[in-house]
Amino acid sequence: MLKKLYLIFGIGVMLTYGAAAWFGWELANSGKNSRIGVPFIYTGFRGGK
Amino acid sequence: MSVLQANCPSCAAPVEFKAGSTIVLVCPFCRSAIARSDRGLQDLGKVAEIVESQSSLKLGLKGEFKGARFELTGRAQLRHELGGSWDEWYATFSNGWVGWLAEAQGNFYLTFYQPMPEGVSLPSFDKLQVGQIVPEIPSTIPLMVVEKGIATAVAAAGEIPYQLTPNEQSSYADLSGSDSAFGTIDYSLDPPWVFIGQQVSLADIGLANARPAEREARRVSTAAMGCPNCGGPLSLTAPDKAERVTCPNCDSLLDVNQGNLTYLKTLTPTEADKSFVLAIGAEGTFKDDVKFKIIGAVVRSVTIDGETYYWHEYLLYNPTIFFRWLVHSDNHWNFVEPLNPADVAADANILGARSATHNGKKFKIFQDAPAVVQYVKGEFYWRVEQGETVRAVDYVAAPLMLSQESTEKEINWSIGNYMTNAEIEKAFGITDLPKPWSVAPNQPFTGGFYYTWGLLPLFLLLVVAVFMIPIAGLTNTVLSQEVSLPPMTNATTAQIAFSQPFEIKGNRNIRISASAPVSNSFAELDVDLVNNQSQEVESVTIPIEYYFGSDSDGSWTEGAKEQDATLSSLPAGKYTLRVEGTWQDWQTPMPLSLKVEQNVNRGVNFLCAFLVLLIVPVLGLFRKISFESRRWKDSMFNTSSSEE
Repeated sequence: MLKKLYLIFGIGVMLTYGAAAWFGWELANSGKNSRIGVPFIYTGFRGGK
Repeated sequence: MSVLQANCPSCAAPVEFKAGSTIVLVCPFCRSAIARSDRGLQDLGKVAEIVESQSSLKLGLKGEFKGARFELTGRAQLRHELGGSWDEWYATFSNGWVGWLAEAQGNFYLTFYQPMPEGVSLPSFDKLQVGQIVPEIPSTIPLMVVEKGIATAVAAAGEIPYQLTPNEQSSYADLSGSDSAFGTIDYSLDPPWVFIGQQVSLADIGLANARPAEREARRVSTAAMGCPNCGGPLSLTAPDKAERVTCPNCDSLLDVNQGNLTYLKTLTPTEADKSFVLAIGAEGTFKDDVKFKIIGAVVRSVTIDGETYYWHEYLLYNPTIFFRWLVHSDNHWNFVEPLNPADVAADANILGARSATHNGKKFKIFQDAPAVVQYVKGEFYWRVEQGETVRAVDYVAAPLMLSQESTEKEINWSIGNYMTNAEIEKAFGITDLPKPWSVAPNQPFTGGFYYTWGLLPLFLLLVVAVFMIPIAGLTNTVLSQEVSLPPMTNATTAQIAFSQPFEIKGNRNIRISASAPVSNSFAELDVDLVNNQSQEVESVTIPIEYYFGSDSDGSWTEGAKEQDATLSSLPAGKYTLRVEGTWQDWQTPMPLSLKVEQNVNRGVNFLCAFLVLLIVPVLGLFRKISFESRRWKDSMFNTSSSEE
């Protein structure tokens, strides 16, 4: 059971990476000078000023 | 010699030497061993009647070996000096050959006399060492001495192709080689005779009807007897094999000799000795649905560095397969089967080698110590004694364990297969066996999945990463422009500049780079990416600072004149950069170089995914290292633990 869960998790991570590459998603702090400063994947606008 | 009809010199009954090779005939009427010679018939004395074993062979049975037909014309029962007996059947072939078919513990060995080459002599019986190869023997396969002993001819029937004298003792050595090769040196003759052949199945010799694997398992016959010490009842499950039995009523150790019991001693078990978790008489179903009955149990021990370790061994019996062992140590279990010594290639010296190879698998030495019998219970096919000591060497390659037990006269190999508690519980239909502790020498590590198949997502990630580079496209610049911010009105009020409009495509990441001619100063840029159609804004901060100088260590720099920030993809459309900046030298204008790129190949996403997927395999590997460390901590040879 744990093995299946791990494989599902692993495939999930891999698919997320593939989707991020396909849709152009970046980790928010990947720009080393981003203002957000926490690692998460986001898309689109975060809001303007 | 030819067929001879004569009268028995003892009882005058008519007897017939049918086979030309027959030297001795056992008179079927008075059981005298009658030898024929040039001088006539000679009475060698009475021989005992054959003790009927559970052999599926019988006199008169016809078979075939390598295209030659034979008939079983004689049989002798020989007694081992340490107890136990075996049958030798004499096969008279139609082409004149005489074969010796030995039957012991359910195994069959067919050998033929092999004359020694001219001028070659064998080592004497005393000089022959168990474990040594005997190169003098004219065999294509090297043969190794696996047993030395003294046999006594106790019973015979039919026609015997050599001078069998009742109760005469003879020295012999058994040898074995690869591919089931087998040999015997008979030291009762001078010079000794050599017999070479191989281990065979009954099917190999045209006796398929009696093939052990296919013949119907006979019902275990039980012989009821009385203890000569206390008079209490006891029974033997394998009466034709038993050499020793303990009385369940008074704990006496009894010798079994052709159905007669003799009191030897009373055993005094300790509490540890009594703690057998399986009962004598319990039946278990093992691999291939083979049923075994526990007929005996032994407590054995080894003492290493002053500390004594105990374990229990159960003797299993099946009337077709005969004997196997179930070893219980630290609440771990092993099902143990005998092994042909020649099928184990000891990599160095056969006794106490540091490794051994069997079936192409390499086993590492784990323990080499004298093993002592502490206590026995039940019945045994050898003359077991308290204090019986053998040199026991264990080699492991989980889930298997090779065990070598040797004395000066015998070397035995066995192979144990690790069984879980659940498997033992299922085999015997029991529950709640005590849980094992620590790690058994040959316990398999069950977490290998996490660093073997568990690496599959990592591998797939690599594949996806490689394929996504061309699929996602190469980096392209969508804006490259110089703008200039006018001098600030004061040190805190920012100046603003806009870029020209440019096209952004969807589903592609965006990198905004800005460079400024700062020199030992800084510039703080708030950059907004404005969608010209929806007026939505994505903002990033790009601080630029660059300092340099020199000190006692030499020149140094800090920061850079160009910085960037990367964004996720935005909806496709026309965009403009709005740059709002403050800088240290606010009285002077600030020229900026702006660049916007898409499809930037970066490793951050990959690295994060890679690290996440690496956690479980790395933990699995640490578990494996810890497991192996615990496995080898009790080994006398634990320096090799790190190699696992």
